[in-house]
Amino acid sequence: MDEKLEKNITLKDENDKLMIDHSYDGIKELDNRPPPWLMWLFYITVMWSALYFGYYHWFWQEEVAPQDSEYLAELKAADIKVADLKASNPEKYNFDETKIALLNTPADLDAGKALYAAKGCLACHGALGEGNAVGPNLTDEAWLNGSTANDVFKVIKHGNTAKGMMAYKDQMSNEEIVKLTSWILVSLKGSNPPNAKAPQGN
Amino acid sequence: MEHQTFYYDNKIVKLFAYATIFWGIVGMLVGLIAALQLAFPIFNFNLSYITFGRIRPIHTNAIIFAFVGNAIFTGAYYSIQRLLKARMFNDFLSAFNFWGWQLIIVAAAVSFAMGYTTGKEYAELEWPIDLMVALVWVSFGANMIGTIIKRRVQHIYVAIWFYLASFVAVAILHIVNSIEIPVHFMKSYIVYAGVQDAVVQWWYGHNAVAFFLTTPYLGLMYYFLPKAANRPVYSYRLSIVHFWALIFIYMWAGPHHLLYQALPDWAQSLGVTFSVMLIAPSWGGMVNGLLTLRGAWDKVRDSAVLKFMVVAVTGYGMSTFEGPLLSLKNVNALSHFTDWTIAHVHIGGLAWNGFLAFGMLYWLIPRLFRTTLHSEKQANLHFWLGTLGILFYAVPLYWAAFTQTLMWKEFTAEGILAYPNFMETVTQLIPMYITRVLGGTLYMTGAVLMVYNLVKTIKSGSIEENEKAEAPALEKTQNLRLAGETIHRWLERKPVQFILWITIAVVVGGAIEIIPMMMIKSNVPTISSVKPYTPLELEGRDIYVREGCYTCHSQVVRPFRSETERYGEYSKAGEFVYDHPYQWGSRRMGPDLARSGVVTGKMYKTNTWHYNHMLNPRKMVNNSMMPAYPWLISDDLNTNYTAKKIRVMQTLGVPYPEGYDQKAVAELKAQAEKIAAALKADGIDVSADKEIIAMIAYIQRLGADISSATIVKKEEVVINFTPLTDAESIAAGEAIYVKNCVACHGAVGSIDTKGLVGPSLFDDQYIHGSTPNELYKSTSEGVPEKGMQAWKHLLAQKDVEQVVSFLISSKK
Repeated sequence: MDEKLEKNITLKDENDKLMIDHSYDGIKELDNRPPPWLMWLFYITVMWSALYFGYYHWFWQEEVAPQDSEYLAELKAADIKVADLKASNPEKYNFDETKIALLNTPADLDAGKALYAAKGCLACHGALGEGNAVGPNLTDEAWLNGSTANDVFKVIKHGNTAKGMMAYKDQMSNEEIVKLTSWILVSLKGSNPPNAKAPQGN
Repeated sequence: MEHQTFYYDNKIVKLFAYATIFWGIVGMLVGLIAALQLAFPIFNFNLSYITFGRIRPIHTNAIIFAFVGNAIFTGAYYSIQRLLKARMFNDFLSAFNFWGWQLIIVAAAVSFAMGYTTGKEYAELEWPIDLMVALVWVSFGANMIGTIIKRRVQHIYVAIWFYLASFVAVAILHIVNSIEIPVHFMKSYIVYAGVQDAVVQWWYGHNAVAFFLTTPYLGLMYYFLPKAANRPVYSYRLSIVHFWALIFIYMWAGPHHLLYQALPDWAQSLGVTFSVMLIAPSWGGMVNGLLTLRGAWDKVRDSAVLKFMVVAVTGYGMSTFEGPLLSLKNVNALSHFTDWTIAHVHIGGLAWNGFLAFGMLYWLIPRLFRTTLHSEKQANLHFWLGTLGILFYAVPLYWAAFTQTLMWKEFTAEGILAYPNFMETVTQLIPMYITRVLGGTLYMTGAVLMVYNLVKTIKSGSIEENEKAEAPALEKTQNLRLAGETIHRWLERKPVQFILWITIAVVVGGAIEIIPMMMIKSNVPTISSVKPYTPLELEGRDIYVREGCYTCHSQVVRPFRSETERYGEYSKAGEFVYDHPYQWGSRRMGPDLARSGVVTGKMYKTNTWHYNHMLNPRKMVNNSMMPAYPWLISDDLNTNYTAKKIRVMQTLGVPYPEGYDQKAVAELKAQAEKIAAALKADGIDVSADKEIIAMIAYIQRLGADISSATIVKKEEVVINFTPLTDAESIAAGEAIYVKNCVACHGAVGSIDTKGLVGPSLFDDQYIHGSTPNELYKSTSEGVPEKGMQAWKHLLAQKDVEQVVSFLISSKK
């Protein structure tokens, strides 16, 4: 088969090289060799696939499957990073949740108010803290989970999920929760908004 | 040699061409509505028939099966007759193919709008329509094979190879992925469950792209491109190599849609490797197409037809490079569930499928009507509008994809999610979604211009419905190979053997992936705490499927820190064994819901929250783009088929007790009453027989089984607690009680707990047992489903011991 030795057919001599008896509704065919780069691309991807499958399935030595081990490694790396950070600044990160001191500078209270909107508190507790079908009124004197700074801090941070209160510990830093707690107890509580929900708790 | 006279059937080609144009415009219009709904939720109009969850399958099915499907038939019916020098085998089959297909499209659109869907992407059609599809598709295949049998050309051309492969593969895919047991005329359950369903579905879904959007189109390219350019095909050998490699390898690549999901590692790796091996075979088609234009590039400057084809083939090359890229697990970890996938399919859809169809129509219509194109200038304008449209569509979506995935994965230095509120990661995308609407509008404007141009062209000419042609009769040749004849050349004149080899090539990959998933138990490890849905939850699940919730919400958590932190425990294969169909989804326009029923989890919301959210999502979540579902609140739940549904599930192997179907409705009502009562306690007056109750029940069940599994596991921890008796500990315990417990259980010594959340701890009755070990356990581990927290997370062990000791001491 001499066309095996043939390189690409040039435009000039292609009329002589059209494949005899390959004519379909006037469409002719040339017998160019497939571009070598394309064939090599194919061989390389096949070899890569064999290596990939071999590495993860035939030669995998660890006890944990590849995907799970990747997940565990990710968790471990993150834990180490966070632990290092906390160790580097114990004053900031050794936070005592039983000694929450309310803040009352306008800047802190405004920050707390902004958090109330940003974290979606108003969806359940109303735009003015008046409460709605989902969440209780935050402006009256009755509290379901306690009314001290510690109590409010705690229910925001750890939630009471069965009752519908989310835990915000993954969404706000301790400092932010203190600001929010402060705004609720200093500014919101006792504000008498319209349409307030009846008191719940004690 | 005897010359035979015969007549090409041009009428059927004309009909399919008209249908292509019509459904193309309809499909794009529906797509535009869907895009608008994502930018501005008001376009859902609070109307069940056109909410996004129902519009999206109408759009995808209209584009794939109506627009592209009719384009395939147009080109195939035109080229098959000419390549084989024969009229179509049977005029009745042709007409049946045409009218049957149009009927299917109308039935599909109407049934999707009404909420009849199987909930499997691109296979949403309910069983009667599935049967029609099978029948019409087989009639197309029979018509094609009949024409091949009575052909007047010795060898079948590469375009026909691709048509044959498409016919065989789509028939197999469609039938295997649609084995359903009917509940009633428009409702069925797929026989596969959970992971198995996922594997079958994406074997189908991926290969619907392969054998419906790709191989038939390669057939069209191999006919219309050399015709339009008037050039010989560059390489016959390349055709052979890339044809067989493509159809063989394609069938293995489906699992790349399920990477990092609850699928065994080996199946995922097959999906990755076979996708990577697809690059070269796919590019074979692009290379053969583009090199066929050698020496004709000057014509591209003037010819709109060739411009469309060049961009189509280039778009094909781009998306078949992008596909394998997205199949690498590290890329997929970023891209999956984002708009990257949407952008990817639209490069394929708008460029390859759309532009090749347009190029074909601009070439075909003037020939069919024996005239010239009304305006080459307008066709060129269409080309530029379309190209700009593609750019304005795709670029913002790539941007949106990167934005959202990076926000999902971002952690603060302190190790908490930087954007824990899912909504934040969606509001960022709105400007991109608005730009996408602009892109789609540009693309569609071009298409409308084409309609005008083609109508003018058609009016200026006339069609010869039965076009006279002549060809010599087919010579009989010997069965065995002739001297010097290559095997493939021999196969090309042996169509039956050819089809046989195609079938073998396409069956292998699916069989190797699917059969072990069904047969080998270790692929789906069972979880004993996973139980069948209650009748109410099952009805709720059917509503979830009906509303197309899966188009925006996934139900599978991947093993990434960013997902387990956001949603909870990652998903396991054994969790889905009763899910007919599986509902993992493929895009997160909203958050994943796999853990929404885990009471102590991050995704949990109360019944009341869900009620308000369904009624008006924007009341509960600022800027939410979710449609409102007021009809769930006003419509009664239909329980006429509940018993039948239970029986069908039993047939499918779901272990409901014998005779449970007779009790199902009563149990459904009892569970519904409880939920309605809980809502009532929050001041929401809703009757227990409304659909919303079932929907809430279903959402509250998601993930609940596996979370109770972890609790069961903890029970196995033996608690051996001896109460402390020293006064100091008792006093400390009392202080802890006052600080932490009074809110729910009342003051120290109080027996009256009216208005409080929890029971009294100072009377003689203990709900969860009164021995020291039982008290310790209910305090430490909590009873989350009743509202009691697991205090071990909040108190030191010593504190728990002290408070329990205090309670025990106070009982005396």
